[in-house]
Amino acid sequence: MNKKIWSLISLLLVGMLLLAACAPAATPTPEATEEPTQPVVTEEPTPVPEEPTPEPVEPTEVPMTELVVWADELRAPIIESLGNEFAQEFGITLTVQQLGFGDIRDQLAIAGPAGEGPDIIIGAHDWLGQLTANGLVAPIDMGGRESEFLEAALTAFTYDGELYGVPYATENIAFFCNPDIVETPPATWADVTALAETLEAESGGAVTAWSIQTNDPYHSFPLFTANGGYVFGLTEEGYDPTDVGLDSPGALETAKWLEDMAVAGHLKPDVDYDVLHTQFESGAVACIGTGPWALERIRTSGVNYTINPFPAGSAGPGKPFLGVQGFMVSAFSENQLLAQTVLMEVFATSEFMTGMYEADPRPAAYLPVREAIDDPDLASFAVAGADGLPMPAIPEMSSVWEAWTNALVLTISQQQSGEEAFMTAAEQIRTLISGQ
Amino acid sequence: MASNIREAGGGTPLASFLNSLPSYLLRLLGLAVVDGLAIWLLYLLIRDQVWPLAAAVAVVTLLVNAVNLTDRLYPLRWMSPALAIIILMVLYPILFTVYTAFTNYSDGHLLTKAQAIRRIGQDRFLPEGGLTYRWAGYRSETNEIILALVGSEGQTFLAVPGEPLQEITPESDGIGAFDADGFPETIEGYTRLQMRDILPILDSQLAPLEFGELPDTVKIKSIREAAQLQPRYVYDEELDAMVDQMAGEIYYADESQGSFISESGRVLSPGYQVTVGLRNFQRLATSPALRGPFVQVFGWTIAFAFLSVATTFALGLFLALVFNDPLIRGRKVIRTLLILPYTIPGVLGVLIWRGMLNQHLGVITTNMVNLFGWAPGWFTDPLWSKAGILLVNLWLGFPYMMLICMGALQSIPSDIYEAAEVDGASIWQRFWGITLPLLLVSVGPLLVASFTFNFNNFTVIYAYNEGRPPIPGTPTPAGYTDILISYTFRLAFEGGRGSDYGYAAAITFVIFLIVATITLFQYRFMGQWEEISENV
Repeated sequence: MNKKIWSLISLLLVGMLLLAACAPAATPTPEATEEPTQPVVTEEPTPVPEEPTPEPVEPTEVPMTELVVWADELRAPIIESLGNEFAQEFGITLTVQQLGFGDIRDQLAIAGPAGEGPDIIIGAHDWLGQLTANGLVAPIDMGGRESEFLEAALTAFTYDGELYGVPYATENIAFFCNPDIVETPPATWADVTALAETLEAESGGAVTAWSIQTNDPYHSFPLFTANGGYVFGLTEEGYDPTDVGLDSPGALETAKWLEDMAVAGHLKPDVDYDVLHTQFESGAVACIGTGPWALERIRTSGVNYTINPFPAGSAGPGKPFLGVQGFMVSAFSENQLLAQTVLMEVFATSEFMTGMYEADPRPAAYLPVREAIDDPDLASFAVAGADGLPMPAIPEMSSVWEAWTNALVLTISQQQSGEEAFMTAAEQIRTLISGQ
Repeated sequence: MASNIREAGGGTPLASFLNSLPSYLLRLLGLAVVDGLAIWLLYLLIRDQVWPLAAAVAVVTLLVNAVNLTDRLYPLRWMSPALAIIILMVLYPILFTVYTAFTNYSDGHLLTKAQAIRRIGQDRFLPEGGLTYRWAGYRSETNEIILALVGSEGQTFLAVPGEPLQEITPESDGIGAFDADGFPETIEGYTRLQMRDILPILDSQLAPLEFGELPDTVKIKSIREAAQLQPRYVYDEELDAMVDQMAGEIYYADESQGSFISESGRVLSPGYQVTVGLRNFQRLATSPALRGPFVQVFGWTIAFAFLSVATTFALGLFLALVFNDPLIRGRKVIRTLLILPYTIPGVLGVLIWRGMLNQHLGVITTNMVNLFGWAPGWFTDPLWSKAGILLVNLWLGFPYMMLICMGALQSIPSDIYEAAEVDGASIWQRFWGITLPLLLVSVGPLLVASFTFNFNNFTVIYAYNEGRPPIPGTPTPAGYTDILISYTFRLAFEGGRGSDYGYAAAITFVIFLIVATITLFQYRFMGQWEEISENV
């Protein structure tokens, strides 16, 4: 809703208050005239003919060289300082407004159509399904500079054949192992089982090989891909919502493996993020899968760690989900070409991307910066995510998480066989997508 | 004191001024200002096609005018701001929710039709064989803008709006020497635009221009490139359809779906909002979610709400009775401590309990394992999960019950107890015969309200375990601790193709009807206690 409208409503209320406050003292006027017929107020405003309504943004309000950027608290300061420093050369001022990362997506849907929105947002590639379905972002023209970016990152930001974002960083989980417990990280998931047996026998059950968050399927994806399982089938045109793969043979193989691990007592239910990390940091678990967001916590705990690619299964190495962050242009911006210019001329430069990397270290999507990563941990993350699959951005993904989580919980807590649980999950997802 | 009375009598200069003619005119002026604001607001709302809010504002404005101009409605004058706020802040949201239940408002259908047409109309494409150029801009004294275009084979053209492209060579016809990129450094009568000159006018002045002759006009594509772009979709008012200029397909507006759909069934994004009649309700009625664990979820919802009220009330009443006894020392301190859980935000309270009950690290669980060698699966076992939620909700809810019971106990006259004692009634008889019935008279409505609140207590359920543990083999995801609102929340926001606000509103409406019915029966039941109190 337009801010102006809200201001007007409040003004109106204040006006009414004043009117009431200034009402005269009671003057008895008993002369009740005949039923003063109250005006009928149900009249619907007559529909205005279908004219393309102009956006309620007064061009005079914003100087033409000012662009509004929405960014989260991690990245807003660096865009504000570094971005502006470069943009000034072009005579552009970037006004950075700070929002919570998730709020950027939600608020854009409200502010964009009302003409109050930003010109540029920072966001994640998996928002694209929702953003394009709602017509909130505009395609981007890289003008032939595609080769300067990580291909997987560009693929992630491509939706229905159009590129919608300039990627700046990638994010994926990797396989952390404690070298004090296991010298060489297990190469296959079968090795993980064997390692669990050895470690538990040696330690009397106090130490085991591997653990996972019970109610977070995101972290379990590399297990499924290792055996050829998938969530949505990947075609040339992107993910296919009619091809749900949680009951594919590869996925059921993984489900069976999880079930066996649980039955053998190697895998405990009801593990959450904190429990998982406490187990790893206290040396109760040799290996876990986690992302760069946990790096600081693990470093602080003082535990020794190595960051490795995921173990392999019958179909090859486990591939994690790849998340890509980048800049997008609002379809409701009055300055779309200018915003694109800023993206390509100011943001897509080594200086800016390096600045972003230093302010918020994560593997860059801009190749000159990605190849120059000097942090060995981040380099390892980049290696682990080299074959990562972009997290599906199609809106149907919202039907997946709960069903998948439940299947994982039911399998690990041994309330259902892995096969049953994942067959059900796939059926649930198909039901939810069809809406019937 | 005396002056206060005089003021109330209306004899002060202020009061007489308020009754005078200038003041009447002043008030009329004030009303005119308010009306002016309202009309401006209505104009904006109607332009943005926000019909429901426009209707609400119109109602409020008419009301205010009626109240201020009609002497008969005089007493309403002081209430009018409150009435206006009630209409805009309470009534309007409720009516809007009901209205939304009859629309397709959801992801993919957030825009109005006009906005969707505008958005789809922004798409452009390069026709087959369409040419792309690099460009430089030049501006004349009279602010006319022309481009120099450099094609892929290196030729340079001069592009003027409305005229065919003209190939140019350096140092001829007023054209200066070419720079390294192939652009003329000077053109007679024009100055070359630098990056800094271009950027401020890029979107407002340059982007709408079409250089060259139709149909092969060249438009600016980015800061470096221009191309023979064509609009991809053009809205045809006659057909009420978007016509695909590239593939020739026609996407007709389907007013029942709120989308542009072609004959082959392809749908354009984004769609737009339309009213869909009872479709959301039909979808709910035929939802597989209703065939599945609905009865189970509904049963637990009632049980959860009832048990939450019963346990919190029992504990609260017990503590209120105990600390009502003046013989207990330090009761003020203890009472204060007991109220503490009430001051902690519910979500935080639940999260703390989650931590304490955690199967691997939780204080409670680890201590139970140490002492008894066993601890319940607070989050994995269906029954113990329910018990855990009731326990947490008891902790969150008993201080409130204790507070209201303490207050209500004061209102029971002590002579009844004395009479009972004379008659030889035991403590139990006094409790069941006097305290409880009389307490329920005053506390009863609050218990009903508490039931209604817990019936929709999404926060506790979601914060505790998101409705899990899961029920195996259900047609849509469902958990043992799911209540109606958390179960259906998932249907509307975590299913299908994203958030569906229309469906959510329909579900809310149905749940409202259920809660309202139950509440009505409870008030009937409570009415019986009223009769008792009248006989005392």
